Amino acid sequence: MALTLDQIRADVADVLGEDPADIPDDENLVDYGLDSVRIMTLVERWRRDHGTEVTFVDLAEQPAIEQWVPLLGART
Amino acid sequence: MWFAQALDAGSPALNTAECIEIHGDVDPVLFADALHRTVGEADALRVRITDTADGPRQLPLAVEPPGHGFPLYAADLRDQGDPDATARAWMRADAAEPFDLATGPLFAHGLFRVGDHRWLWYQRVHHAVLDGYGYSLVARRVAEVYSALAAGTDPGPSPFGRLAALVEEDAAYRTSPARDRDRAHWLAGFADRPEAPTLAGRTALPSRAAVRSTAHLAPERTDRLRRLAGSVRATWTDVLFAAQALYLARATRSEEVVLGLPMMGRMGSVALRVPGMVMNVLPLRLTVTADTTFAELTRQVVLGIRAARRHQRYRYEDIRRDLGLLGEGRALVGPLVNVMPFDYGLTFAGARSDAHNIVSGPVDDLTVNIYDRAHGSGLRVDYDGNPALYGQHELTAHQDRFLDLLARIADRDPHLPLGGLALATDAECERVLTEFNDTAVALPPTTLIGPIEARAARTPGATALVSGTEELSYAELNARANRLARHLITLGVRPGALAAVALPRSTDLVVALLAVLKAGGAYLPLDTAHPAARLTAVLDGARPVCVLTDLAGRAALPAPSARGVTAPAVVALDDPALREELAGLLPTDPGRALTPQHPAYVLHTSGSTGTPKGVVVPHSAIDNRLRWMQDRYRLAPGDRVLQKTPTGFDVSVWEFFWPLREGATLVVAGPDDHRDPARLARTVREQGVTAVHFVPSMLQLFLAEPGAAECTGLRHVFSSGEVLPRDTADAFHRLLPGTALHNLYGPTEAAVDVTHHTCEPGETGPVPIGRPVWNTRLYVLDTAGRLCPPGVPGELHLAGAQLATGYLGRPDLTAERFTDDPYGPPGTRMYRTGDLARWREDGSVEYLGRTDRQVKVRGQRVELDGIEAVLASHEHVAAACALVREDRPGDPRLVVYVTPASADAAAEAGEPDPAALRAHVAARLPEAMVPTAVVVLDAFPTGPNGKLHRAALPVPGTAATTAGREPRDAREAALTRLFAEALGLPHVGVDDSFFELGGNSLLAARLVARVREDLGTDLAMGTLFQAATPAAVAERMRAHGTADEAALGTVLPLRPAGTGTPLFALHPAAGLGWCYTALLTHLDPDQPLYGLQARGLRPGDDRPRPYASLDEMAAAYAERVRGVQPHGPYRLLGWSAGGVLAHGVAVLLQEAGEKVELLAMMDAYPADQWRERLGTVEADALAALLETAGCATGDTPLTREAVTTRLGAADSAFGTLPAATLDTVVDTAVRTTALTRGHRHRVFDGDVLFFTAAAPRAETWLTRDAWRPYVTGNLINRDIDCAHADMTRPGPAAEVARAVTAHLGEKS
Repeated sequence: MALTLDQIRADVADVLGEDPADIPDDENLVDYGLDSVRIMTLVERWRRDHGTEVTFVDLAEQPAIEQWVPLLGART
Repeated sequence: MWFAQALDAGSPALNTAECIEIHGDVDPVLFADALHRTVGEADALRVRITDTADGPRQLPLAVEPPGHGFPLYAADLRDQGDPDATARAWMRADAAEPFDLATGPLFAHGLFRVGDHRWLWYQRVHHAVLDGYGYSLVARRVAEVYSALAAGTDPGPSPFGRLAALVEEDAAYRTSPARDRDRAHWLAGFADRPEAPTLAGRTALPSRAAVRSTAHLAPERTDRLRRLAGSVRATWTDVLFAAQALYLARATRSEEVVLGLPMMGRMGSVALRVPGMVMNVLPLRLTVTADTTFAELTRQVVLGIRAARRHQRYRYEDIRRDLGLLGEGRALVGPLVNVMPFDYGLTFAGARSDAHNIVSGPVDDLTVNIYDRAHGSGLRVDYDGNPALYGQHELTAHQDRFLDLLARIADRDPHLPLGGLALATDAECERVLTEFNDTAVALPPTTLIGPIEARAARTPGATALVSGTEELSYAELNARANRLARHLITLGVRPGALAAVALPRSTDLVVALLAVLKAGGAYLPLDTAHPAARLTAVLDGARPVCVLTDLAGRAALPAPSARGVTAPAVVALDDPALREELAGLLPTDPGRALTPQHPAYVLHTSGSTGTPKGVVVPHSAIDNRLRWMQDRYRLAPGDRVLQKTPTGFDVSVWEFFWPLREGATLVVAGPDDHRDPARLARTVREQGVTAVHFVPSMLQLFLAEPGAAECTGLRHVFSSGEVLPRDTADAFHRLLPGTALHNLYGPTEAAVDVTHHTCEPGETGPVPIGRPVWNTRLYVLDTAGRLCPPGVPGELHLAGAQLATGYLGRPDLTAERFTDDPYGPPGTRMYRTGDLARWREDGSVEYLGRTDRQVKVRGQRVELDGIEAVLASHEHVAAACALVREDRPGDPRLVVYVTPASADAAAEAGEPDPAALRAHVAARLPEAMVPTAVVVLDAFPTGPNGKLHRAALPVPGTAATTAGREPRDAREAALTRLFAEALGLPHVGVDDSFFELGGNSLLAARLVARVREDLGTDLAMGTLFQAATPAAVAERMRAHGTADEAALGTVLPLRPAGTGTPLFALHPAAGLGWCYTALLTHLDPDQPLYGLQARGLRPGDDRPRPYASLDEMAAAYAERVRGVQPHGPYRLLGWSAGGVLAHGVAVLLQEAGEKVELLAMMDAYPADQWRERLGTVEADALAALLETAGCATGDTPLTREAVTTRLGAADSAFGTLPAATLDTVVDTAVRTTALTRGHRHRVFDGDVLFFTAAAPRAETWLTRDAWRPYVTGNLINRDIDCAHADMTRPGPAAEVARAVTAHLGEKS
């Protein structure tokens, strides 16, 4: 099942313990509490549920949802 | 990192090392190639760092291929018995090898074959070039390259970014506005420079290697943590931080903690692909209270980390510098919690692997490293501690307990308050509650007085009491007390009633206390020296039915206050009318309906409002205490207990009653003797005292007393009231090896003492207060009221048989301090001591200080709040701050700072006057609470957070001394000098009061010692309290002609303590050995020193028959030496004629078959040199005497009379001697000189250590070589640059003492 922008936002909000509505697409997620453990959680969750192959470094390099969409979308 | 290494260039502390275990086959040649290629791709590994004039610079470094200098050690260990162990040993040794930053390379590898299909790859890297994330990048690339090489394919281009990009990014940050914002963020958050509590409670520089404890958390437990984290919308790492904060806060009794948060620092950065050193440590400040929930605490962590993350590029080192913590060596953070979630599921050509950290860099305090590497195998938790702060056992205990706490947190509703969680594990709770408190002993329900009456009936003829020259048998004492008791009953004294007792230490005091108890009443000691306001408060509050006192005391009692309180009856025991009346009463025990629950005594302690509070202690409590004491220390009928503690202090209770219950004898010290160590030592010796109590500060003074070493009759010495320093216990054992020293602890609220520890020689570390007494339970509780495990400080609570009933007439206070005991049987209470303590592993307790601001000054409880309250009540004072300063070590002083009420008030009434304020306190509080100094400030200094900055309060200025008159005579001049010295002041006037200038009883004891040393006069401590100025003391000395027994005795114990062979110093011609005191400070502290002095120096002494020859004299001295030290080897020394005597004594001892290991002569010359001299012996002797006393000889006729007069006026020890002694001195000088000159020396077999007074002298013909015929060994000479008469002045004496010490050291 392919990932959608909404699903990405929902999952990010979940690991950050925030409401999805409070997570903008274009902001640096580090400022919202994204850390390596949470990124690892997302990497594993998306690999398991959506078959993505992004690595930790891929996500950590540009920690914003709009940057992740092509990374994740291109491989679904 | 560079700086840390530069501080200790040879330290391996900056090494990081790990080991990857590969489960499969490895081709070592391909592996070496993979390593070399990876290093070639990782810029950071190809550097060295040198120090240049412009600071450290990182330079490129060429790395040679394998076999040509590439740092790789490979070995096949399969033939080793335990290949893994061999490999681990090699790795540990390698990890302890420091790198040389300047030469590089800054990495090293090892590859070990430890099984047919198992390999270990080890790598060590300097932390300056790689961090934990960097390791993971390097390891992954090595696995990738190796796998490609093994498969014969191309590994592909380097995935690494360039180090230069990293440096560029950092340089850009350093000049960006972002950095300014980050800086502002940290400075704002930490402007108040919070304390960073640590489990060790202190800081230390990082050691060269950390101590480590490793634990694994099973996947099942990890899953529970993850579930808990999910339920509070956090990650498992947030939960670990929250749990660590909870643990730290509880273990350190802090509501606020600062954890160290290591940050990878690479998010959104090129650094994600660059192996290098990027990580940073940031402070995470958390508040932990008992009523917050775990969910709330975790939320705090989430938000805290989120905020930190936004400003994570600002360096830890910069925050510390910005806050000024660097200069103070203060820590910014407590323990670090370092979570390493990097994916390490690497495969090497298909072989799977696991990574194991070996060392992870320097540890300031404690670093908790948590690895989540191999999938599904749980967590590895490493506790790395600085070994300067944590032992292995301690570290493991913290780790076990933390993991236990974590498990309990995981099983608990996260929305419950944290107060319900204990730090201690169930097993630890059981241990501290049951095992350490196993004290139950069934006792008969008796009272304090019952066993005393039973004893009087059993041993009526035994001596019950000795007071001065008076002695009373048990029957006599009992009869006197019974008659008085019968009188008291008629006044209304009965069970439950109070009778005040205001008497000085005396037989009557003992009789009065017994009588009150016999009548069934409780006694209430009253000190009529206290301010009238306090006496009135005590009497009004307690309403005793009568006051037992004497005629003098009756006059000192305050008039009944106007509040309608009926004045108590006053019973003056020395009133002849009363004595007559008592004679008519029955001497038998009176009847009374007394139960163990009735009060036995009421003692008043200082309260925090300045109002004294009366502690009501029931018979059952003190009876339990005395029964335990008897079981423990076994007083027998031959024992004698010294009663010296004032009745207002609870120690006096056992002093009075313990001996009387056991058939022993109570020895009553003189009224003021408790402050006078010399008198106490004398009383102990003369009265054969076997048990005595000292507060530790008094014990120190007692041990410094020359007479203390002779108190060998003592069986038990008890110490309590303040911390007993280990040094004092050690000094005690050296001085009195045959006497037991017991450290006791307990508040007045728990019948004197509740814990006990017998000090043993050889123990180290703080002296514990020990284990609980019978039927007593101790609880060490944390801020949430939960049990603290061993090692963790908490507030000491007491429960059991010895608790007081409560505070007299103060149910509010009683309810506050005596609460329900949650750990005891229903309905029982516990007492909150306010003392900080911790359990040791052996079940004894260590005292750590106070939880509140109560302090002890010389063993007396002082409530600083109370002093402040009294001062703040003064109309000219706005606020007051009291504290105890120790500006001179060992001399705590109570100082109060005040600010004026208002500018208007100050203008009207003038500045508050310190002396008036002091008087204001003195009129309301007991002596111990009256400040030494009151300092008026315009405003209190405050810290950045607005709180009072105590450290910035000024040292109280030393009061200006009176101009006054000049000293009248030598004695006054000497005394002003000694006063100034003891007080640490440049000058003291003859009419300045010792106590007004900041003197206290400890300093007074020092002054007394110095007066004895310099003036040879035994000034009683009591004298100083009555005559506090140099002029007054001089007057007393004149009036009493006070030469002391010891100072003028034939054996002067200059330092009787010490484990070494004693040194005997023989007097010069004048017969006094005082001159040798100057040797003391530079002799080995373990070297005892005795002066031998002439006979007949004491004014009352008979004139002895003069010695006929020096041989006869030497023989007498040899006997005295043997009296102190029966057999050799002996050490002898003498100055001038004393040197000749020492030679004579040494020869005699050798002739008697003894060994003499030291014969030291200070500028002494044999008789041969003098025999042919012209002139009379008498004139020579008198001239020498004047010179020694520092008097010019020119204008004094050399007659005995003139010289005696001149010496009497000298500004030296001679000037203080009584006339009779001075006569003896002059006489001795002449006789000794004559005997010396007529002597025929025999031969001493051995070396002589000779000291030549090297200054030019008139007697140019004197030569030490004249001794050659009388010495078989070497004449080892040391020139001392001074005149003969100055050899025992401080400078030359120090040289002599050092040479003697060195000489003895060489010999051994």
